[in-house]
Amino acid sequence: MAAIVIDRVRKSYGALTVLKDFSLDIADGEFVVLVGPSGCGKSTMLKILAGLEAASAGTIRIGGRDVTDLAPGDRDIAMVFQNYALYPHLTVASNMGFGLKMRGTPADEIARRVGEAARILDVEHLLERRPRQLSGGQRQRVALGRAIVREPQAFLMDEPLSNLDAKLRVHMRAEIGALHQRLGVTTIYVTHDQIEAMTMANRIVIIKDGEIQQIADPETMFERPANQFVAGFIGSPGMNFLTARAEQGVAQLFGTSVPVPPGADGAITVGLRPEHIEAGDGPVTFVARPNLVESLGSEKYIYFAAPEDNRPPGFLTRSEEDRRGDRLIARLINSGPIRIGEPVTLSFDPARLHVFDPASGRAIR
Amino acid sequence: MAGGRFSLDLARPSRQHWLGYVLLTPAVLLIAAIIVYPLFVSIDLSFQNVGIARLDQPRRPFTLANYERLFSSPDFWNACWVTLKLILVVTSACCVLGLATALLVNNRFRGRSVARLLVAMPWAVPEVIAVVIFAWIFDSSFGLMNWVFLSLGFIDRTINWFSDPDAAFAVVATTMIWKGYPFVSIMSLAGLQSIPEDYYSAARVDGANALQRLRFITLPSLMPVIGVTTVLVMLWIFRDFSIIYVLTGGGPLKATQTLSIMTYEQAFSFFRMGYASAVGVVTLVICVVAAKLTMRRAPDTL
Repeated sequence: MAAIVIDRVRKSYGALTVLKDFSLDIADGEFVVLVGPSGCGKSTMLKILAGLEAASAGTIRIGGRDVTDLAPGDRDIAMVFQNYALYPHLTVASNMGFGLKMRGTPADEIARRVGEAARILDVEHLLERRPRQLSGGQRQRVALGRAIVREPQAFLMDEPLSNLDAKLRVHMRAEIGALHQRLGVTTIYVTHDQIEAMTMANRIVIIKDGEIQQIADPETMFERPANQFVAGFIGSPGMNFLTARAEQGVAQLFGTSVPVPPGADGAITVGLRPEHIEAGDGPVTFVARPNLVESLGSEKYIYFAAPEDNRPPGFLTRSEEDRRGDRLIARLINSGPIRIGEPVTLSFDPARLHVFDPASGRAIR
Repeated sequence: MAGGRFSLDLARPSRQHWLGYVLLTPAVLLIAAIIVYPLFVSIDLSFQNVGIARLDQPRRPFTLANYERLFSSPDFWNACWVTLKLILVVTSACCVLGLATALLVNNRFRGRSVARLLVAMPWAVPEVIAVVIFAWIFDSSFGLMNWVFLSLGFIDRTINWFSDPDAAFAVVATTMIWKGYPFVSIMSLAGLQSIPEDYYSAARVDGANALQRLRFITLPSLMPVIGVTTVLVMLWIFRDFSIIYVLTGGGPLKATQTLSIMTYEQAFSFFRMGYASAVGVVTLVICVVAAKLTMRRAPDTL
């Protein structure tokens, strides 16, 4: 177990820069999730951490040791791959013991550690099978087992759940979380799924175009996003964005004056989460005509058009088709029956609003 | 007359298997005519005392004489031994060389496509042309090989490649290896490209060095490909005729006389077609057994 320091790591392929001065301090035993849209550089960062790719600049320290120029095998880390990378010609036990065997560990020691890992992951009955005889979830467990028998300084996980079906993914998510609690090994986990990030991480690192957008615990990430990208990335369904003009600390929203932070002046982008809109009267009340209602049983998603003066950012630059489909979403719990086209009274608390600078996207507080 | 009462709509689901048979028929007829029929004719001939086989003559009486003579003939056992030696030497050399070149051109480097082309080239050269080139390379008076060996000081007088039994065998083996390894190369390269990159990444993280990655990942992953390829190379050596015939004609002192050369010689030089058929039939049986054994050794891993 060890702390990991990533110091101004840069990676470019010719003229293309995929990571720009990436710096991150990870505490011993922490579970850090790197999350971002595909192509943002998160997997590249993980490969650089593992030593599978070389950084163009910067240093990496694991447990105080500079590993920047060390081979992957000398970094004392274990990695779990998206496709598990289990060797088809070896049994589960040999797969799990492979790393130890490569390091010349005595056979009885390997057997003992593989047995222990198999017990932790509940795959003892599978040890003599081949990977192709296992289900997706079992393969996933074996891949985790291969990582834990090594007793490494850190686990690196590259989208380990993306090949599982939705139900199993939820299950394995909890299992990986429990495993981390139990072993307390520093874990760096890469995913494009913000729900995985929110549910598993001690800290989330949101990356876009090779740059860190925000580093925070899940709660802060949700409550106080640093910019519009983070605000839109975290949360499902995504945050609603509206345009407004701020003058002397006040902006007009849905025909009502709402207070905005003092730093906001002129054109602003206002963010409002679907779950912060409620049915019935409240501090700011308005009437909407739903153009689509999705009922999920316990909750309803109401889609409706934004008022003329508060069209979402970029509204006019979109195609005719896009503009017609332009919708705000409210997520209502325990509302009465709601029908398409019939007026419904909705409200929100202006304290819940997020205000962003439309040019830079930065949050204004 | 689509849909008519007597139209034969082969696309109908209930008749789809008919279409299959119809499409198969030309190939089946062709194979029957040029492989299956001659095979039965030669099996039949091997049990008759026939000089020059003619289809318009009545069958000769059944006899086991050809086989009796065969198994008591030192020439036959010599041919078996030469064939076995050739198979062991050429197959193993082709596998090592083919795998090595495949690993080489599987790396990323400048001019990789050219290198791949060069590796595959001997395969594209027509067999007879290759043999003529090698016959000149190993020519006793003007050959390149004698000159190279002399220049390097390996020998102090020229080797007469085609009159010394061991040297002749070496020449035949060398030519076959040169002609045969690209096939292993091409097959292995295809196999190498189907090994997921993640296996190597995982092994590197697990601390496996290059040699261990070859031993524990590359070779086991290639085993199914190598197994099939080995059988094909083996069968090619069994049946290859032109290389040996053009280079040495089976000599000197029958040092390069394989079963296929012996078959040809008995049939078309001595006109003992019944006897030659017996050699051919025995060769076929050996081929089948050898192929079966080799295929069983290759574990099915994927």
